[in-house]
Amino acid sequence: MTDRLPNRDLTVPELRAVVRGLASAPERWRRHVRHDPTRRHYEELVRDAHLSVWLINWTDAQDTGFHDHDISAGAVAVVQGRVVEERLRVGAQPGRAEFGPGQAFDFAAEQIHRVVHVGTEPAVTLHAYSPPLWRMGAYLVEPDGALRRFSVSYAEELRPLDEPLAA
Amino acid sequence: MRVDIHQHLFTEPVLAALGRRDEPPRLVRRDRSWALELAGEPESPVAPPGQALERRMRELHADRIDRAVLCPSVPLGVEGLAPDEARVILAAYLQGAAELPERFATWGSIPSRDPDPAAVRELLRRGAVGLAVPARVLVDPTTRAAFGPALEALERADAPLMVHPGPADAGPDAPPWWPAMTSYVAQMNAAWHAFVAFARPEHPRLRVVFALLAGGAPFHLERLAARGGPAERAHDPLLFYDTSSYGPRAIDTAARFVGVDQLVHGSDRPLAEPPAWSDDDAFAHALRVRNPERLLGAPA
Repeated sequence: MTDRLPNRDLTVPELRAVVRGLASAPERWRRHVRHDPTRRHYEELVRDAHLSVWLINWTDAQDTGFHDHDISAGAVAVVQGRVVEERLRVGAQPGRAEFGPGQAFDFAAEQIHRVVHVGTEPAVTLHAYSPPLWRMGAYLVEPDGALRRFSVSYAEELRPLDEPLAA
Repeated sequence: MRVDIHQHLFTEPVLAALGRRDEPPRLVRRDRSWALELAGEPESPVAPPGQALERRMRELHADRIDRAVLCPSVPLGVEGLAPDEARVILAAYLQGAAELPERFATWGSIPSRDPDPAAVRELLRRGAVGLAVPARVLVDPTTRAAFGPALEALERADAPLMVHPGPADAGPDAPPWWPAMTSYVAQMNAAWHAFVAFARPEHPRLRVVFALLAGGAPFHLERLAARGGPAERAHDPLLFYDTSSYGPRAIDTAARFVGVDQLVHGSDRPLAEPPAWSDDDAFAHALRVRNPERLLGAPA
């Protein structure tokens, strides 16, 4: 999949093509599908100088919280189940879109969003980031509307404390 | 289990073996204390083993480390001695490590002039987590070739390799920090490039950790690519980097190049102090718990 990619950071349309291509090649990721009601389960499928690709398993309304990706743009393809993407807005309800199998969405580096599992069926999504994820901003919206940003390593999002070792 | 994969500690059997030597590396009496006399580095004082162990236990508690993996003091140059001389000290090293509390594990090393694969199997049988080699072993084409069977034995045993700098070639007038900032960085950078270019194709399943962020080799990946080198081989889930003597900025930069999964916590105590990691931090958890398990192949 990555052999034919350009030797530079990828554009958003190229990232969309990566996740769509991967979505149609389940032999590349099917063995990593594993759902756990206590945590999202992640697997990094690709990491090189310009691209990181993750498979994320979701269930039971698991939620990323609002976050940004520092300088990385990204694209997400849903291959099973449903997720909602919310875009943070000041003084307004978040923009909201729901995605199901066969659908994809993308985001530029400057966008702040959250992704939440919805529905009864566990979800499986494929995420491509370029340049590879490094630091992220995690946002806390206080009851009075004050917004606080925490600079975190991507480990905070994709290598959480309670994640078990891959079998 | 929170693991520090890189510490040093002199035990009584090693000091006794060094004290019996007539030439460097050796232990010498200085007034009312002891010092290490080395060939290429300034002399350094040595604490009595009992005191050093007590102090280390307190530090492990303060660092919140459950298991410290000790590494032979490669900068002493023991591995490079005539094989018979080296074996005496390396055997004393393993004996000393085995007598320590359960909170310690250890890397083992073998004479660089006689890198016998049977010696690697023996180290592992005696409880070492893997093999530590001086960085120069990988850089020099002759020793690299000679170590081939030893590395193969390690790979077959599913045990990891630790690449450690030293000995240095600073003069006796150099300040104590000089080797750490010059020879060691250069040796590690060269060893990483040598491993990636020459040894990795021969040992595709060997798990390897480079001390001190491989002398900053990951920071040079763009340059490696620009010069036509095999930069893509840096993206290797079996290549690890320990953080010894580095702080948040360099460690974060290494994560940018090779990813969080390849970094492991190695403090290099007593020569340096580790950053104050928080148990609640996922990055620290990856470096101290998850990644050492992947490197060592099992709980240390």
